[in-house]
Amino acid sequence: MTAYRSRALAGLTWVYIVWSLLPVLIAVLFSFNAGRSRSVWQGFSLRWWIGDPNASLLHDDSLRMTTVNSLVLAVVTVVVTLPLGTMLAIGLQRWRGRGAGSSSALVSAPLVTPELVLGAALLLVFTNLYAAIPLGRPAQIIGHITLNLSAVVVTVRARLLMIGSSYEEAARDLGASRRAATRLVLVPLLRPAIVAAGVIVFATSIDDFIVSSFLSSGAASETVPVRIYGAVRGASSPALNALATLLVAFSFMGLLIGAGSMWWLRRRAGERVTLRQFLDEVTQADA
Amino acid sequence: MTRRLSRREFVSRSLVVGGGSIALAHLLSACGGGNESTTQLVIGTPDAPVTLPTVGEPIADGLPLESGTLQIYNYADYLNPETIAAFEAAFGVKVTVSIYDTEEVALSKMRSGSIKPDLVLGLTDSVLARFVAAELLQPLNRGYIGNFENVIAGLRDPYYDLGAQYTIPYVIYGNGIGYRTDRDIDTSVFVGNEGWSALWNPAYAGRLAVLDSYRDTISMALFRAGVFDPNTSDASALSTAVDDLVELATLTNPKIDILSYQEIAGGGRDIALCWSGDMLAGVGYLPEGESPDVLGFWYPEVTPTANDFFSIPRASTKPVLAHAFINYLLDTEVALGNQAYVGYQPALEALTAEALVNAGAIPESLVGALVTPERYSAGKRLVSLAPDVDALWLDGWTRFTTG
Amino acid sequence: MWRGYALPGTVWLAAFFAVPFYAVAAIAFGSIDPIFRNARPAWNPLSWSFGTFADVLGEVVNGQLRDVFVRTIVFVLIALVLCLMIGYPIAYHLARLHGRMKSLILLLIVLPFWVSYLMRMLAWVNLLQRDGLVMRITAWFGAEHNWLDGSPTTVILGLVYGYVPFLILPLYATLERLDWRLVDAARDLGASPRQAFWRVTLPMSRTGMAAGLMLVALPMLGDYYTNDILSRSPRTEMIGNQIDFFLNAGTQPQRGAVLVLVLSFVLACLAWWYVRDNARQQVAR
Repeated sequence: MTAYRSRALAGLTWVYIVWSLLPVLIAVLFSFNAGRSRSVWQGFSLRWWIGDPNASLLHDDSLRMTTVNSLVLAVVTVVVTLPLGTMLAIGLQRWRGRGAGSSSALVSAPLVTPELVLGAALLLVFTNLYAAIPLGRPAQIIGHITLNLSAVVVTVRARLLMIGSSYEEAARDLGASRRAATRLVLVPLLRPAIVAAGVIVFATSIDDFIVSSFLSSGAASETVPVRIYGAVRGASSPALNALATLLVAFSFMGLLIGAGSMWWLRRRAGERVTLRQFLDEVTQADA
Repeated sequence: MTRRLSRREFVSRSLVVGGGSIALAHLLSACGGGNESTTQLVIGTPDAPVTLPTVGEPIADGLPLESGTLQIYNYADYLNPETIAAFEAAFGVKVTVSIYDTEEVALSKMRSGSIKPDLVLGLTDSVLARFVAAELLQPLNRGYIGNFENVIAGLRDPYYDLGAQYTIPYVIYGNGIGYRTDRDIDTSVFVGNEGWSALWNPAYAGRLAVLDSYRDTISMALFRAGVFDPNTSDASALSTAVDDLVELATLTNPKIDILSYQEIAGGGRDIALCWSGDMLAGVGYLPEGESPDVLGFWYPEVTPTANDFFSIPRASTKPVLAHAFINYLLDTEVALGNQAYVGYQPALEALTAEALVNAGAIPESLVGALVTPERYSAGKRLVSLAPDVDALWLDGWTRFTTG
Repeated sequence: MWRGYALPGTVWLAAFFAVPFYAVAAIAFGSIDPIFRNARPAWNPLSWSFGTFADVLGEVVNGQLRDVFVRTIVFVLIALVLCLMIGYPIAYHLARLHGRMKSLILLLIVLPFWVSYLMRMLAWVNLLQRDGLVMRITAWFGAEHNWLDGSPTTVILGLVYGYVPFLILPLYATLERLDWRLVDAARDLGASPRQAFWRVTLPMSRTGMAAGLMLVALPMLGDYYTNDILSRSPRTEMIGNQIDFFLNAGTQPQRGAVLVLVLSFVLACLAWWYVRDNARQQVAR
């Protein structure tokens, strides 16, 4: 087998990585800028994080509120979407009847819909039909769940296909009811996929901008990305960079929690776990 | 991932999904709210002042102050954070500010109920008629606003709201051109009515902006063409004005936003159509060490001049507190402090152009940006438009902004 | 029983995905209040009126909206080509790599996923400011170019920067699963590395490439915030900006609804064409 070695491509890859990550690192660095500028370095300081009594992340109440909003939204979305999506995936996989095809098509549709279209449709429906549901956090929660449901289904379904039905059949042969077989055998086997899906939903929800902004109702329901978007075109201090860094930190935190859970699950199941396997799982889930 | 569907299956499945949605929608539309309106717009003009219909009751006298959080709906950077903090401390409450970019957005969001503020700042009479028609505002109880006497005499009984039922003036300003004096801006054109053409100068391409406000920007093009009516319903004049704006877009590639107050001071742009207060506010956005002399403003002889106002929504949950806030900002000292950040001239009797200069609030180079009584009376007002005329203006605006 | 499992999720999607689309249609084909210009949806299809729809369609075909649509498509096409030119070599390299470096590089490449899109755009805006690093570097080379002055180049590059990670992963997934023995066989039969690539690897990865491009093209066509953050000039207005303007600036929800329908239709056609093409390829194999 011809060995693969291409210095040119290796070099290109590193250039890409630098081009991809360096601007973000610089932005994170500038959150520690001593002056007001976001583009000219004026010294190191924690002013925008905790120092400044008016504008720092710690002291500015509105920034704290947006952070809380983002976190609440993300957590609630994960808590609702995971069970709903898992059940949907299992049901779709096994359902052999009328309506299964339509349901399946309905699940695939959001995956090919740009978020703008979804956000616009939700805004129009909440202001013209579902008037009982106010804009703001309730509408945003519903929007986020809708946005992420299909992703969960896809992720769980991929794993379902790999698992097959042999384990459940074995359980049924041993006397378990269908419901028990699903609950006690299938779901635990699905845990890695559920965790991966949870990580993706959390990150998507935390970073989400379009649906959150279309369905927001003012300062009280602002999330971090919406806040950044509003401020990035105007005057702002490096507190904005600090806020954005926090956003990235949350995504990573979600990723770490997910990775940790998967590692722990795998260890409990006695499997060997490597970083490579985890990355493969995540990239499969994404692609 | 997906099985291939036969055509029949596809059609039948679409019908199932479609039919289900329609049925569901019909069921739910019974619960949905309808947006009906058969009201007329009551529009006041300087020549024909108008008393707005009284919708609802003002709050009773002598009510106690509420506690909690006061929700203010406002433009960005249009209230000094220190002033807000002082109010919070003085009254033991919290204040949050939600931002709107244009009055149209404010109207639409308040009408749909997506935003329910306790106090609204920054609206002008070009949108007041619709707010009143939509029954969004409550009549004010002047008993809570002792400082009303501080307001400029000529604005205490405005043509758009005789008796000041719904509105209290906030700031006054005029439209003009803000620019950097330290860049290559040719100031010799800023004479008479000629100055508007500076915005068409291709030498300023890429560093120029116009206002994201269809009334103000189209009026500017109208004035440049010699049509000094910012409320015109003349379709051909409007069409020519929009053609001129499209030409401007080709020549100078302008930004369209309301951020010139930061951008010109920050150095990101060199010349822009803006409100006089923008330049005054710009002083606060200069980089450390830069002198305010770099900022200049051309106040044309004939230009739109206006004031905006405070108003309290009907659905306000803290009306007494809202009144108290208005009263607080009508205090001369507080208004002066607010002006230091916001830039715009407060509509108070005591804060004349000379008074502001004497108080050191205005740099030498920007004295020309102040609104004097003469300028105010010579200025043209942007009043509300009838719906069909408004549609004309909006269509023209779309034509301009789509490039 | 399985139907019971699937029912809650299906009902949710019906209520919050299918019905909203119907609401969009009801608004697009309904009427508007003359004074406040808010939408009055027509729920009964029999009472639908197609006047505004026809107007907007006319503008799309031959009016001011045509420029916006054309511009959006051009931007997206250029951005896709650039994404492919950057993304394919990276994915290829990653797929062929083995050993410990692979995990590290894969991690670094996956990293942008966990960085919010807005953070990445913010990072670029800071660099492209008048006094930012990029400006200072280009000034050092003698060129004076204001990146944020509303040029299409900035917006396209912004789109590329934003979306290229979304292309690399599917490409990598495809290339990783490729049967490299076929490439070896080609080499054994005398092909040069370049020929092996063009005549074996590339055609084999075509389905993956198409899937990846679709995955990126769809959101890109609805993108509006990249333009908003990096430019805000009429010269770079995209169709997403128009929809955002009509709906969020609140003045013309009906036009917004119509545009949403038009855009959805265009995207549906694209997706349909892709699915047909994919199916045909599978049959051919």
